Amino acid sequence: MTTAAARGVTIDDLEHSYDQEPVLHGLCLNVEPGESVALLGPSGCGKTTLLRLIAGLEKPTVGSIHIGGELVAGGAWVPPDRRRVGMVFQDWALFPHLSVANNVAYGITKSATRDIEVTAALEMMNLADLGDRMPATLSGGQQQRVALARALAPRPGVLLLDEPFSNLDTSLRTEVRTEVHRLFADLGITSIFVTHDQDEAFIVGDRVAVMRDGQIVQTDSPQALYHHPVDRWTAEFVGTISVLAGDAHSGTAQCSLGSLAVEPQLRGPVEVVLRPEQLSLEPQGAATVQLVEYYGHDTMIFVSLGDEQLRVRCGPTAPYVRGDRVRVTFTGDIASAFELT
Amino acid sequence: MNQTRAPRELQVIGLVFALAFAFPGLYLIWRNFTSGADPLSLLFTNQTLQPFWRTVRLAMLVSLSAACLGTALAWLTTRTDLPFRKLWRVVLPIPLVFPTFIGAAAFIRTLNPGGLANDLFSSIGVNRTPELRGLLGAWLVLTLFCYPYVYLPVAARLRQLPGSLEQSALVLGDSLPRTFRRVVLPQISGSLSAGTLLVFLYTISDFGAVQLMRYDTLTRAIETNYLARPPTAFALSLILLVFAGLVVAAERSVNRRLPEVKTHRAHEAVEYELSRWKTPAIFLVGGTFAFSFLAPMAALLDWAADGVLRTQRGGRPLTIDTSKVVEAAANTLSASVITGIVALIAVVPIAILVGRYRDRIGRFTHSVVIATFAVPGILIALSLRFWTLRAGFLGDLLQNSMAILIFAYVVRFASLAMGIALVAVTTVSDDLHDVAATLGADRWRRFRSVDLPVMRPGLLAAGGLVVLSTMKELPISLIVAPIGFPTLTTRIFGSFEEAFVAEAGIMALVLVFTSAVLTWFLVLRRVDHL
Repeated sequence: MTTAAARGVTIDDLEHSYDQEPVLHGLCLNVEPGESVALLGPSGCGKTTLLRLIAGLEKPTVGSIHIGGELVAGGAWVPPDRRRVGMVFQDWALFPHLSVANNVAYGITKSATRDIEVTAALEMMNLADLGDRMPATLSGGQQQRVALARALAPRPGVLLLDEPFSNLDTSLRTEVRTEVHRLFADLGITSIFVTHDQDEAFIVGDRVAVMRDGQIVQTDSPQALYHHPVDRWTAEFVGTISVLAGDAHSGTAQCSLGSLAVEPQLRGPVEVVLRPEQLSLEPQGAATVQLVEYYGHDTMIFVSLGDEQLRVRCGPTAPYVRGDRVRVTFTGDIASAFELT
Repeated sequence: MNQTRAPRELQVIGLVFALAFAFPGLYLIWRNFTSGADPLSLLFTNQTLQPFWRTVRLAMLVSLSAACLGTALAWLTTRTDLPFRKLWRVVLPIPLVFPTFIGAAAFIRTLNPGGLANDLFSSIGVNRTPELRGLLGAWLVLTLFCYPYVYLPVAARLRQLPGSLEQSALVLGDSLPRTFRRVVLPQISGSLSAGTLLVFLYTISDFGAVQLMRYDTLTRAIETNYLARPPTAFALSLILLVFAGLVVAAERSVNRRLPEVKTHRAHEAVEYELSRWKTPAIFLVGGTFAFSFLAPMAALLDWAADGVLRTQRGGRPLTIDTSKVVEAAANTLSASVITGIVALIAVVPIAILVGRYRDRIGRFTHSVVIATFAVPGILIALSLRFWTLRAGFLGDLLQNSMAILIFAYVVRFASLAMGIALVAVTTVSDDLHDVAATLGADRWRRFRSVDLPVMRPGLLAAGGLVVLSTMKELPISLIVAPIGFPTLTTRIFGSFEEAFVAEAGIMALVLVFTSAVLTWFLVLRRVDHL
């Protein structure tokens, strides 16, 4: 199955409120054609609202949205049924009264080629045998694939997905995630998906936009986001951290782990933010092992040093038990640190 | 929740409907104060107060007994090892197919000389059979035919209530009756009081049963007065209208609905052993069914058979023939079906305004429609009848027309469809709508391809309820139906009044049979969707 030319999405200074309650303010986002962008944020941050604004299911209070260079909201208004944007809802929203094939056919307007296109869409999602079934008789994973096939069948320029994996069992989620990831890569379609799960955002997104309180705080590749978060909140939201009090001066910060390299412009009291894999343990030292959590592929060890707590990721065979005395060392090149305001 | 605003056209439709539904009640109030006579002096005379107290007394008694009977039957069929529970669950709602006046007539005539029961009594040497008249008769008949209004919601609630609640109370040391009082009763109180309210409203608006039982309640007094003394009829109507409104308002404010526990998983049913109570329980359930269904059916069959046999033996011929029965049945069916369709057309836009858009105008119209449920049919009939006499050209046009009859039926019964229609609208999730929009469907296509098919089962059930109620309606049909448009109920009622029992029996059987078939197809078969 071929797709229509992927289209980019540009959002400028978007503001939106429900009943005078602001949900988004001054939000900007640029999505390149063919790119997959994850909107990552805690619940209530406005990420689903942003998705609905792009689809045209809500009208923004202020600001503009361009899809494929065309102005669709702000100044002009293109209703959802004429935006050529596909959307997969969190609960999949399959039409309960239509068969799988008719669900997929719903958005295809050209009747001449409808059957061929439906078959193609079903085959692409491995649903060829299920065309006559009713949605209620399908498993969660199958329903998910029907929802995707239905959204993709009219060949949208942009695909929007609202928490696409949250309704699946844990065991199924990993599998479906990889399947969708591969699909996006193969089709080269522009996709924007909402998630509150950092793993999903990192795995499927080419870039991740972290949202908080109606604003995007950082848009970056997963690697840049993980290693160079803009603030402590973002660092904590995209992964585990340990926070130490420190004092920064000309490129180094003094803290309970000694003198660590930090960004040179930092001055005065700072919070030093360390990832667990930037730390390592050796026997005998000033710190005490508090808890050991074994994950199979590695071990997370909770350590107390003075009145500060640290989390250290060790290999699967780390020999420590609760109560051991250990020494913690920083093994990274440069530590993240943020000035206290 | 959908954030978009309701379309303007829909709001206009909502306002127009609110006015239409409120019209009969408002007109009645207005006429009360403009009909010339001093309304206040009429309101508080013996002529009005005595029927009022009779209505209150009857309604209280019937509500109490129907609430107890309905709850007991519901509990027995959902929570105990009563034999043949599944059968009882199917047959216990059936008495709803009887209009109460047919039930009343059945009891009266059966106990009269020549009736089935009278023959039975005299064959065992009892020559004085009790006569069923007045308060006792009206109470008995209304209880026997109204208990399903309580039984149905309470049984549904009990089935939904997780048994683990009761078991927790039992494990904590409560006895069974104490558990019922402290745990079950608070949980079913919402359904119980809603059902009891239905019984109460039904009783105060009932005309047929009290008329045949010769018990002078407000409705009967209105009917006797409306031609000869309109001002008195208006005063009586106002009392009835205000009383009905107060009762509904009281139920709303008293019944602070407790947070109800719900479970959607199939939970393990609790089943209590009746042991030594088994025989009394069977007598209660079986006796109820016997008196509320088997006995009246037997009476109707007896009369019909009598009539047919008598004619064949060359006795007095029946005053009706097949064509007359068919005519009345066709009139009843067509009027009811049209009413069902019109009621749906009236109710669906309002349900969409409320359920989808949470629109203020929608909520206003919704409460007006719900309020009309408290307006007894005889008041709607009276109001429209007098309005057409006064409304000049428009009145002349509508007087004795099908349009005014359908309008009266719709005002009376559309509220029955409102609740189900609202549920049907909310089954169409906003997401379904939104996904259809992103797939390129405009508003009209969304309505046709998503809303209508998804709501269909609910709407059929809602329309079905209206059709069934319209078929049984008596006072509106008597007062508003065009001349030369006999319905089954008016024909049956007329035959009873003139003591043509055989004719009444035949047509009552036709009515009961038709509504039983319709109940099955339209309501019971789809009850899962409610």
